[in-house]
Amino acid sequence: MPLTMVKAGEPNVIRKVGGKEETKRFLENLGFVAGGIVTVVSEIGGNMIVNVKDSRVAIGKDMANKIMVG
Amino acid sequence: MSVKIALAGNPNCGKTTLFNALTGSNQFVGNWPGVTVEKKEGKLKGHKDVIIMDLPGIYSLSPYTLEEVVARNYLIGERPDAILNIVDGTNIERNLYLSTQLMELGIPVIMAVNMMDIVEKSGDKINIQKLSQKLGCEVVEISALKGTGIQKAAEKAVAIANKKSVALPVHKFATEVESVLEQIELKLGSDISEEQKRFFAIKLLEKDDKISAQMKSVPDVTEEIAQIEKEMDDDTESIITNERYVYISSIINECYSKNKKEKLTSSDKIDKIVTNRWLALPIFAAVMFVVYYVSVTTIGSWATDWVNDGVFGDGWSFFGISVPSIPSMLESGLIAVGCADWLQGLILDGIVAGVGAVLGFVPQMLVLFVFLAFLEACGYMARVAFIMDRIFRKFGLSGKSFIPMLIGSGCGVPGIMASRTIENDRDRKMTIMTTTFIPCSAKLPIVALIAGALFNGSWWVAPSAYFVGIAAIICSGIILKKTKMFAGEPAPFVMELPAYHMPTVGNILRSMWERGWSFIKKAGTIILLSTIFVWFTTYFGWVDGQFRMLDDMELNHSILAAIGNTISWLFIPLGWGDWKSAVAAITGLVAKENVVGTFGILFGFAEVEENGAEIWGTLAGSMTAVAAYSFLVFNLLCAPCFAAMGAIKREMNNAKWFWFAIGYQTLLAYVVALCVYQIGTLITTGAFGFGTVVAFGLVALFIYLLARPYKESNTLKINLNRVAGAKNM
Repeated sequence: MPLTMVKAGEPNVIRKVGGKEETKRFLENLGFVAGGIVTVVSEIGGNMIVNVKDSRVAIGKDMANKIMVG
Repeated sequence: MSVKIALAGNPNCGKTTLFNALTGSNQFVGNWPGVTVEKKEGKLKGHKDVIIMDLPGIYSLSPYTLEEVVARNYLIGERPDAILNIVDGTNIERNLYLSTQLMELGIPVIMAVNMMDIVEKSGDKINIQKLSQKLGCEVVEISALKGTGIQKAAEKAVAIANKKSVALPVHKFATEVESVLEQIELKLGSDISEEQKRFFAIKLLEKDDKISAQMKSVPDVTEEIAQIEKEMDDDTESIITNERYVYISSIINECYSKNKKEKLTSSDKIDKIVTNRWLALPIFAAVMFVVYYVSVTTIGSWATDWVNDGVFGDGWSFFGISVPSIPSMLESGLIAVGCADWLQGLILDGIVAGVGAVLGFVPQMLVLFVFLAFLEACGYMARVAFIMDRIFRKFGLSGKSFIPMLIGSGCGVPGIMASRTIENDRDRKMTIMTTTFIPCSAKLPIVALIAGALFNGSWWVAPSAYFVGIAAIICSGIILKKTKMFAGEPAPFVMELPAYHMPTVGNILRSMWERGWSFIKKAGTIILLSTIFVWFTTYFGWVDGQFRMLDDMELNHSILAAIGNTISWLFIPLGWGDWKSAVAAITGLVAKENVVGTFGILFGFAEVEENGAEIWGTLAGSMTAVAAYSFLVFNLLCAPCFAAMGAIKREMNNAKWFWFAIGYQTLLAYVVALCVYQIGTLITTGAFGFGTVVAFGLVALFIYLLARPYKESNTLKINLNRVAGAKNM
């Protein structure tokens, strides 16, 4: 399921990062890689702050929709 | 013999703090050639022959952002003698990702694990010896904020740099990947030295065409790529990324133990409140209110009054000792040496009055910049971008555009410069074009003048100026987004949020000074020259065929009046087609705060208050209220002052874009002012003419541009010219 559907505070495993090549690479460099753990810290209107590899990353709704977890 | 040490690390890892601590005031700040990425260089304290190069903060050596390209071109092309890699100890896994790439360059690396004080406080443990052994480089624990360990880190870096040795990476990937890399390394030409082979082999495998473009001979590796992609069922770039993280997790458990007890860090707890769905905007509004209240009405205005009325006015008292003001001191000095009248006029009425008026804004601006620097350094500014993104996205800008606009409310020059943090080229260009619509502190005297002279100081005039600015940004965002140049979705919002922390006083003051200085420099150079020019053209002219200096009563014979008369017809449709207003608008291009002073001079007052209280009556007699508001709108929106235009030119880095931005701003200002005047006159007096028809036509066109269907484009790319420019360093 997409990251936008995840409840805050629950750790989830990243399955796949989609989206445009450039953004996908940028997310990978930030630590969004398949198999990694991602936790949602807070969410406003679909935009979210997530914890990945001990850093906080803010991502827009459109991007969060393209990160598959499960 | 001098050695070069490069500082490399992730954004927000404390690199700038460390750089400042290592070099002190011994810095040189410039730009990397051809691009608008800041380049900072400095000499290590106590070592004249050690140059420290502060590379931009990067997450990786991939070719996707300008900063990454600049950093890796420097590392490959200039080959510093050592790399000091700063690693955020609270976020070690992600930070080591860059470290694995730095170690492949063949340059000796010293790793400085920063924020050790926070790591220890949270009860986490980092085994430095183990880390050093696993990574094959020396590791030092530091806290850049507290200044602990930095000397040791610097000494180790200098020692290893002096050896001028090469280093080979220790870490290895999976056997399949290693065997492919080995095959590629064998194919590499002899122009690539042994220690760099691994870096180039990996980049070739990743299909990094910016690296292959720099190589003399590029071996064909399509076979190897096809082989490994088939074997591992992924593209090579993702394979390498994964391999790096797999390697890091394989060593991290031995080197790092996390205190599991606390689930949420204090930073997360703050974020739960500050970025809360309901509280985020009210908290943000409250913070902004405090910032502006303090910097505009209290501390800022005390300081500004002191400069305007004391230092440049009637003198001030220093603990009971009365100190004369600069103009009066100068005046008595000039009279004492028997200076010619015209020179006295130039110095006192021209230079001191002009430059002094500008410098009056400095204290207020510095107070504002202290607040903004604090908000930036403590981590709140990044959250603001996140909160505002939801709103800004609706009209085609990114949340990151908000920070330049906030700074631009103080001064447009640092505001435009702050647009550098926006990675996406289109978003950045649009931000540069629209930032100066927000009234900067220099435009406020114009607002005060018009409000006082024509509207009895009505409360709504000042807020309406901000409203006009914000509306101009929103409408420009929507209109420009639908043009070919800016079409396409804004880049998705992705931004790392640094953990909240208390910044050091030194860092805040430094940031305040860097921004304030860009304003003071403009007062010393461009404003100085232009006040001389304005003074000369105002006080000299032809009377009865004779060129001479003019009295205050003869100013309509001046050169400036002649210039004003030739162009004033342009502004007739806007309602202020007399030469004095035209001249005031022109001097506004030099610096917006000049507008009030120019009116003062032209109406025959040598010196006027900041809000021009003396000339309210004269001004009210010379134009209608609607015309005055049209004048105000034009001056708020049209091309900013020369200094800000210079900043736009620098940041656009392209003459065509610069002229497009200036042209767009001026055209928009003209059209809006025209509509305000024509339609306003129709409402107040019922006068209907050709101008009214044009105004309604323009309004219709404007609505069409706002509402026309949106064309999706698929050209989302970072500007390759800029990146190519970075390559030719």
